[in-house]
Amino acid sequence: MRDHFAQYFEEMPCYLSVHDRDFRIIHGNQRFRRDFGAQGDYCYRAYKGRDSVCEGCPVEKTFIEGVPQISEQTLHTRDGREIPVRVRTTPIRDEAGQIVAVMEMHTDISESKRLQEQLAHSRQRLAQLFEEVPCYLSVQGPDRIIQHANRRFRETFGPAIGEPCYRVYKHRDEQCIVCNAQVAYREGKPFEHEEVVVSADGREINVLVTTAPLRNARGEVEAVIEMAVDITQIRQLQSQLASIGLLVGSISHGIKGLLTGLDGGLYLVNSGFERGDEARLKKGWEMVVRNVERIRSMVLDILYYAKDRELEVVDVDVAALVAELAEVMDKKAADSNVALRFDVAPGVGTLPGDSKALRAMLVNILENSLEACRAEAGRKDLRVTMSVRRLDPWLVMVVEDNGIGMDRETREKLFSLFFSSKGSKGTGLGLFIANKIVDKHGGSIAVDSEVGRGSRFVIRLPLEARPSTRPTGELAPMTAAATGS
Amino acid sequence: MGLRRILVVDDDPDIREYFAAVLHDHGYEVAEAGDSSAALSELERFLPDVVIVDVLLPGRSGLDLLVNLRRSPRWSATPLVVVTGVDQLLQDDCQSYLGAHAGVEGPDAVLGKPIDPSTLLAVLRAIDARQVPAS
Repeated sequence: MRDHFAQYFEEMPCYLSVHDRDFRIIHGNQRFRRDFGAQGDYCYRAYKGRDSVCEGCPVEKTFIEGVPQISEQTLHTRDGREIPVRVRTTPIRDEAGQIVAVMEMHTDISESKRLQEQLAHSRQRLAQLFEEVPCYLSVQGPDRIIQHANRRFRETFGPAIGEPCYRVYKHRDEQCIVCNAQVAYREGKPFEHEEVVVSADGREINVLVTTAPLRNARGEVEAVIEMAVDITQIRQLQSQLASIGLLVGSISHGIKGLLTGLDGGLYLVNSGFERGDEARLKKGWEMVVRNVERIRSMVLDILYYAKDRELEVVDVDVAALVAELAEVMDKKAADSNVALRFDVAPGVGTLPGDSKALRAMLVNILENSLEACRAEAGRKDLRVTMSVRRLDPWLVMVVEDNGIGMDRETREKLFSLFFSSKGSKGTGLGLFIANKIVDKHGGSIAVDSEVGRGSRFVIRLPLEARPSTRPTGELAPMTAAATGS
Repeated sequence: MGLRRILVVDDDPDIREYFAAVLHDHGYEVAEAGDSSAALSELERFLPDVVIVDVLLPGRSGLDLLVNLRRSPRWSATPLVVVTGVDQLLQDDCQSYLGAHAGVEGPDAVLGKPIDPSTLLAVLRAIDARQVPAS
């Protein structure tokens, strides 16, 4: 019987050893001897190559406390391997109940250690993936509270964890009417939608959102994961493309009208030559000149729109600017039988601005007024006046005509891109650009007009440099001046 | 030549003058109007045989005028030529606009800008040839 137990002890598939109070190894089984050497050695030397007892030694603890101990340790074999082990100790007592030795059993836990490490590593990778994925990731509970959010999400929407999603995304205090996260939660399947959310610093972001239910081990939906991809740039590009499409259509339409005008001029010139009709020739040539001029200003408008250049601000001599303007516009007005008058108050001085841009803006507005008069061709009393005066802190320019006038719709859309009331002649760029230039200078344009009575444009420009505070691309709201005239 | 009196409706005086010169030179009588309401008074005064109308006019559009004329017992049979710079769009716009006004017959011809004199004259001759000989 004793031999049997000795054999069991020998063959046990773990390290078995018995230690005395001095930490000497009294017995060690076959496997123990193979990896840790001869009996009679001190365990601390055999296991770890130390010269004194290890801290927290389970054998020592068993001797002191008299009860079995369990712990984990790393042992060093004779051939230099490190083996993680689970250590179980149990006291061995004599007939008097005194502890005379401690039996120690070491089970090799390398494999489970390896699996544990692998699991921790996978978890860490997953967390890192969640954290670093280049889109907004969040997990929301059924109560719409954000439970987890990745780095990108937190950077854009702030420390969102613990907050309801509608507050984080939309800066609202009430939940959204349609909530796809809730739908995903309820129906247990993924959904995709597009929406506009607001970042912590108030930026609007177009996002493509995919929501999917997260299930627990029993298959019940516990939360919803939401992945939002920023598609703002794509949407901006699309709207720019749409603008370009409109621009191309508008330009094509404008050019065709002007070409017809040129055809008309050429017809009159040619037939005037053939007949020796000088009056017709003159009329035709004027028509050619007028339409070439229109094409020229249309092309310049298009180029300005295409470039959207920065202002080159200098001190602009206002009186000189107006004189230059008169030079360009006088002939045009005379050709259309419109009396054009400039009224510059003395001492208007200088204005901080971009002289080229200001000139282009005023030419656009004056041409618009001349056009409004030309639509009434035949009348003898057509006139356009431009007055300029200082009204601190503004320079105020008023351009007034008694042409065809505008209805409310035209007035309201006046400064919109591609809006034109000029039928075949307009691209809808001129006043849009004029408004943009004034806005860039920190000023404003107001308009007052009535069908049959003419129009009045009031342009205010700051006398102190004060660039627009609006984000690029956004225009000044148009204010209709209430003059009651 | 059965059709002699032409009303040109366009807001661009250059284009009106151009058409008027071409038409005069080829034996037509011409009246001009710069918008739809001027066109309506010219109709009464001038009694045209054909109306040439631009689509984009200040105020009521050329298509609006077309629907008006087609529905009026007095002018419904008067040939109408529509002129536009938005040629491709016009076909669709015209269809959808007229679609919204059930029963209204479309224009007799559509001319896309730019328009050379021979095209303008050819269109008028074609319309003339289609007319049932009356007086």
